Amino acid sequence: MSSPFESYDDLDDADERLGAADPAERRVAIIALGHSGDPAAVAHLAKMVADPDAGVRQQVAMALGEFDGPEAAEALVQLLVDPERIVAAAAADSLAEFKDPASADAILPLVKHAHAFVRTGALRALKELRRRDTLKPALEALQDPDAAVRVQAIGVIGFLKLEESIPALTALIGDPDAHVRRAAVSALAFSHMKIAAETITRALADSDWMVREMAAETLGLNANGAVAADPLMACLADEFWQVRLKAIRSLGRMKIVQAVRPIGHCITHEQANLRKEAAAALGEIAAPDGEPFLALVANDLDPDVRKNARWALHQIAASKARAGS
Amino acid sequence: MPLATYQTSVPVVVDDAKCIADKGCTVCVDVCPLDVLRISDMTGKAFMAYDECWYCMPCEADCPTGAVTVNIPYLLR
Amino acid sequence: MAMDEIVDGLSEVSCDVLVIGGGTAGPMAALKAKMKNPKANVVLLEKANVKRSGAISMGMDGLNNAVIPGYATPEQYTKEITIANDGIVDQKAVYKYAQSCYGIIEELDSFGIRFLKNENGDYAVKKVHHIGTYVLPMPNGETVKKALYRQLRRARILISNRYMATRLLKSSDGRIAGAVSVNTRTAEMLVIKAKAVILCMGAAGRLGLPTSGYMFGTYENAANSGDGYAMAYHAGAALANLECFQINPLIKDYNGPACAYVAGPFGAYTANNEDRRFIECDYWSGQMMLEFYNELLSGKGPVFLQLKHLHDKTIEEIEHTLHKVERPTRGLFQEGRGVDYRKESIEMHISEIGFCSGHSASGVFVDDNARTTVPGLYAAGDMASVPHNYMLGAFTNGSFAGLDAMEFADNHDFGAIDAGEIALERERVMAPTKREDGIPPNQIEYKTRRLVNDYLQPPKVTRKYELGMRRLAEVREDMQERMIARNAHELLRALEVQSIMDCADMAAHASLFREESRWGLYHWRTDFPEKDNENWFCHTLLSKQDGRMTSEKRAVQPYVVPIADDEKDLYDKQRIRASA
Ligand SMILES: Cc1cc2nc3c(=O)[nH]c(=O)nc-3n(C[C@H](O)[C@H](O)[C@H](O)COP(=O)(O)OP(=O)(O)OC[C@H]3O[C@@H](n4cnc5c(N)ncnc54)[C@H](O)[C@@H]3O)c2cc1C
Ligand code: SF4
Ligand code: SF4
Repeated sequence: MSSPFESYDDLDDADERLGAADPAERRVAIIALGHSGDPAAVAHLAKMVADPDAGVRQQVAMALGEFDGPEAAEALVQLLVDPERIVAAAAADSLAEFKDPASADAILPLVKHAHAFVRTGALRALKELRRRDTLKPALEALQDPDAAVRVQAIGVIGFLKLEESIPALTALIGDPDAHVRRAAVSALAFSHMKIAAETITRALADSDWMVREMAAETLGLNANGAVAADPLMACLADEFWQVRLKAIRSLGRMKIVQAVRPIGHCITHEQANLRKEAAAALGEIAAPDGEPFLALVANDLDPDVRKNARWALHQIAASKARAGS
Repeated sequence: MPLATYQTSVPVVVDDAKCIADKGCTVCVDVCPLDVLRISDMTGKAFMAYDECWYCMPCEADCPTGAVTVNIPYLLR
Repeated sequence: MAMDEIVDGLSEVSCDVLVIGGGTAGPMAALKAKMKNPKANVVLLEKANVKRSGAISMGMDGLNNAVIPGYATPEQYTKEITIANDGIVDQKAVYKYAQSCYGIIEELDSFGIRFLKNENGDYAVKKVHHIGTYVLPMPNGETVKKALYRQLRRARILISNRYMATRLLKSSDGRIAGAVSVNTRTAEMLVIKAKAVILCMGAAGRLGLPTSGYMFGTYENAANSGDGYAMAYHAGAALANLECFQINPLIKDYNGPACAYVAGPFGAYTANNEDRRFIECDYWSGQMMLEFYNELLSGKGPVFLQLKHLHDKTIEEIEHTLHKVERPTRGLFQEGRGVDYRKESIEMHISEIGFCSGHSASGVFVDDNARTTVPGLYAAGDMASVPHNYMLGAFTNGSFAGLDAMEFADNHDFGAIDAGEIALERERVMAPTKREDGIPPNQIEYKTRRLVNDYLQPPKVTRKYELGMRRLAEVREDMQERMIARNAHELLRALEVQSIMDCADMAAHASLFREESRWGLYHWRTDFPEKDNENWFCHTLLSKQDGRMTSEKRAVQPYVVPIADDEKDLYDKQRIRASA
């Protein structure tokens, strides 16, 4: 019987198989190399990036995704600029899996490539590598005419979490593209600078509801989110219940005592998700004046609302007991 | 007890024109968790040999040439 | 030679640590064992192919139970799991998981496994449960197995694909000594001697029969036929709380999750035919399934997952996950039925029964180091008794198992194996191939699983159970005396059905032992409709003693995270009685 174990000798006749006349056979050989996991396979795969057959090149792009590091990145970068979209897309996906910061050297030059698709792919890959020297090119890419590129650039910057990037991020609040604005708001979450919280607050008035929703949520995560207590309370009248819901959650998370009444007034909204969130937030704030509002939903038809109300009353009682003792 | 063979429609379809099993590919056969795909001796192409499919998709997702289509098994469609 | 043609042969290999099952827990266990001692030989044996095997073959919607600093604490998590399991929990293992799982997430992230992050690169954790926040989505996680596989290849783990383990081997001193397996395409047998063995064979997912009647249309990966449970049983290991079945709320007929954990954070919810929520319980637990069951029967069914109140853009995002990862054919299924989530809700149902600690609590009994009651034998993932551990629990407990097993292997030599035992097992395995005439495995399996549905599915009625056990015994006799396998693939199914039958017997035996009702629908006994904490606030352990199936009680270990009475009450108010 042959060995019961998977072989680790996949490279033995690699060159011969990669040289087959039939592109299908070359593909099969490439699949085997990717599967090997052997770092030595990268050199063999790298030789195939100029194969005349697009299907073969696509396979190479996928196989290289099984590896990490500068050598594989070098080869993938050549495939990312491939004129065939299927090849370039496969290369972008593979690069996005890389974690070795040293891979960034090969990728960085493509941030200035003529094609937006390539620039987007390059920035997407750089994000996870979190290398400080990617900040400058990423900041420059914020001026890119293509919105998808700007979104990825925001990610690169946001992942680095450097306060020095805050002015550039706050400037994006006026970006014409809603996706960009939404991403920028999310990226501001980490900052301790006042201006960051203020900018997110401004986004509560954005024309796009998803940007407003993101802003309402992000304020709850930001160190200075509480400066926005009033505007968040104003958000409780937003025409989209989704925005109100996130505002309630953030007010609860930050335990804004003044918000009890405005939140309480949402507790009878027709949308059950909102009633539930309001009850939960009153519990997080745990102020006694939440009790009468919670009483309104004691017999709510929705069990989730009742459950959160019970929990909230329990929190309030516990907080009263603590204050008493 | 004597056995009967009976008909069953299988959920996975392979496009013979795209399949490169005859060039050495066995990817779908390799990955299938239920081990129900085989390469046909007659056509040299992959096919579903047993109607025991979890409609899970690795065969379709990993096929290098896009030759595999997974359908929902008839009984639960 | 053609594939599936039977070859009668047997060979032997040895290794330090043998991991059986290369789904989720298995790869992690193998990797950790090898990292602990890179010079040692670690074998990962898999019935299918490690690249795409197990529950996570196409990724997962997300982590259901991530304890991430800033969002949840190990104490809170331990409390919630304890309460969700009606208190029958050895907290030490749950707490250890909760403390370690964040480190495992970081490690998985470094492997290239993709979790949802916000624009700061922080994990985008979502709130689903009403107290803790535990859900971390993985909308682009379809490559998780690829990433794991890569790590295994790099570490040079010895991978044996397409070998199905059939029995464990022990030495005369009761220690583990290895396992017997069979190649699923040639029927050649392989004996693996090992100093320590880790069982990661997943849930018993082919126990009940799906309502569609399609035997492989299960919730669990249908390759998980309960072999691990059967093997542990025959090796004399104890199995805990098997009467705490697994039943899940699923897309009707499709039998896959919809899933509330994905759509929930976006505002979707489970509703009755009046478009109203009815579920009180936060967790996928027996309590929730009871509420589901009652609603279905109350005239307020069918039950739906409701999305139509959400914004188009939100639905688009949900679709992206539902149709791309975990069970990507969900989209195809709905399309076939002409269901557009924007206009129509998704019809849901509850599944057939199974064993799975990943979702409930029924598994091979283990301690907080994943040790079973057999020295040198470990278990992790869906088949080990740490409750509600899901995917991240499989990874984390798999890692504990790998580390401890390697330590065991470093300190022990090979156990002596009795050649007679191997010969007997070879005879048992090959028996269906030696018969000229008989019943094929698919018919034995269909009948067994149909009987499981008819007699063992809750509500559990003693009289029905007794009848069911008689019927199952008749089928067992057919299985042992008359089943035939005409090629290696049929032999695989013939061996699987033997595990299924063992699991059915264990399900019946364990259920009759616990004379109370507990865990909502999972163990609702009509003859003992009340929870009886005085007599049954304990685990039950089932094992094979002197060749016979026996059950005994085992005390719940003292809690490490105490739970105040008023906290219990708060949850208890969520409970509704079975009879309601
Ligand atoms: C459809 C679905 C959706 C889920 N969704 C989520 C989710 O969103 N979030 C979450 O956290 N969890 C989820 N879970 C649960 C989670 O996936 C499991 O708890 C976890 O993956 C179990 O890991 P495991 O290693 O125990 O089992 P598996 O990953 O299933 O691995 C078991 C392995 O053992 C092999 N095997 C079986 N028998 C033998 C044998 N005799 N010999 C050799 N090998 C054998 C199988 O082929 C398989 O590869 C989901 C599960 C399913 C099925
Ligand atoms: S993976 Fe595709 S090309 Fe390869 S054998 Fe299967 S169907 Fe043919
Ligand atoms: S869908 Fe899954 S079970 Fe069915 S043939 Fe493909 S890989 Fe196998």
